[in-house]
Amino acid sequence: MFSTAIRSLTAKKQNPRTYRVVGPQRQIDERETPHPRVDRGELGERLRSWRTTNAGTDPFRRVLGPAGGGSGNPYNSLQHIMTKVPEGPVSPDRVPVTDPVKMAHNIKEVARFFGADVVGITHLGQLYVYSHRARGSAALGEKPGDPINLPHKFAICMGFASDYYKFLSNNSRISDAEYGLGNIHTIPTTFMLASYIREMGYPARAHHYGRSEVNPIPLAVNAGLGELGRHGMLIHEEYGSRLHLAVVTTDLPLAVDEPIDIGVEEVCKYCMKCARTCPSHSIPFGGKEVHNGVERYRINVDSCYKYRLASRGQWSNCVICVSSCCYNKPTAWWHTLATEAIKRTPIPLRVFLIKPLLWIDDLFWGKRPWKHMKWLDYDNAPEANAPICNIPGCNVKHTNLQHKRLHRA
Amino acid sequence: MTYVIAEPCINVKDKGCIDVCPMDCIHGTDQDNMLYIDPNDCIDCGGCVPACPVKAIFPEAEIPEKWRQFIQLNADYFKNRR
Repeated sequence: MFSTAIRSLTAKKQNPRTYRVVGPQRQIDERETPHPRVDRGELGERLRSWRTTNAGTDPFRRVLGPAGGGSGNPYNSLQHIMTKVPEGPVSPDRVPVTDPVKMAHNIKEVARFFGADVVGITHLGQLYVYSHRARGSAALGEKPGDPINLPHKFAICMGFASDYYKFLSNNSRISDAEYGLGNIHTIPTTFMLASYIREMGYPARAHHYGRSEVNPIPLAVNAGLGELGRHGMLIHEEYGSRLHLAVVTTDLPLAVDEPIDIGVEEVCKYCMKCARTCPSHSIPFGGKEVHNGVERYRINVDSCYKYRLASRGQWSNCVICVSSCCYNKPTAWWHTLATEAIKRTPIPLRVFLIKPLLWIDDLFWGKRPWKHMKWLDYDNAPEANAPICNIPGCNVKHTNLQHKRLHRA
Repeated sequence: MTYVIAEPCINVKDKGCIDVCPMDCIHGTDQDNMLYIDPNDCIDCGGCVPACPVKAIFPEAEIPEKWRQFIQLNADYFKNRR
């Protein structure tokens, strides 16, 4: 009896705890998302031109980056090439599926074999399918502005983990390389998994970086990969937020997973580490807000994106919130012990465990996790006398990012 | 839109805003009696507002009527310094 009551407080729940649908939602148009808005110049001409040139003169960066960055040939960018590749036809020889539970198990095993670190399956809610496309593949006869028709029933959500240590060099060309590689890892796995399902005789489509018709974050939360964090990203109990998400949608009969409760709701309430360290003040200290019928923490997407202009050619992607998240730790027994302890503690008592753990986290891992790193020819040490200010006569003391004061609520 | 520093900063220049500005877009010389925000670099994050002890910083759209001239004053400061 007592154990049943305890389990009801901690076990898997039908509804995610970190977001709540409180009103009518509308489908999002992919053209409203940040990259297309920047490409149209809606966040300023400087940001638009930054996006087309940020890969600059570094060949390594150009290979890992998207098409059109810097002077590189787009056909040296896998991301660009894969937006041009058509998807194959569905095989007429359909393999019958008698046991969706067994098929789901097999599909997850295949996804991991193809390269995914974590996999979960959920129903494909149409609210998480974009209404219109911003890009589209000419090879599939798609063009920007087309309405999207994706009637598939299931979403196979996958996460691809980035290297903990390389992200600790944030922000630098080292963390950029790791981030770019994470994007690229989503491509072959989703392509091969969708191909495999089509060869089994069922429609399937790969949604990877640079070509996606769905919003992967709510789908991943619904598929039980993790929970939604204060910084607006998925938090996985082992990998934190350093997961690149990708999805394969399909009609292959599959058993679905349920959302999980790993304690992110309580941890994000007290931690605030991402809000304190976000240089652009884009992550809220306050409570959740209702936007598009969903109650959740809401970040300032515009200031988050515009902060890239502060990079001064030293980096391209800010991963400070990912690195500072208290769930972001290397794989180790003490991290598993902490996350398991939170997960198994009844919800009302979690605060008594979380607060001391957060204190330990600050003590051992620092309030602003960062490591000096050298890799290839890159060195992320702050330049001692880097020219920060170009205003003649200005003599206020502009501080390097690593020495910026942490924000307080 | 941008953020604007207004009259309360005059002869105060606490500089608390400098430490939190992610864009390093707040400038001033010893000869100036206040600090100025470069509207070309400001990303509208609002981080400087709570850092100011004299409540001198406002979003452009919300600046009190009596200090509206500071919008132009901040912008003009950078006109001949680029």
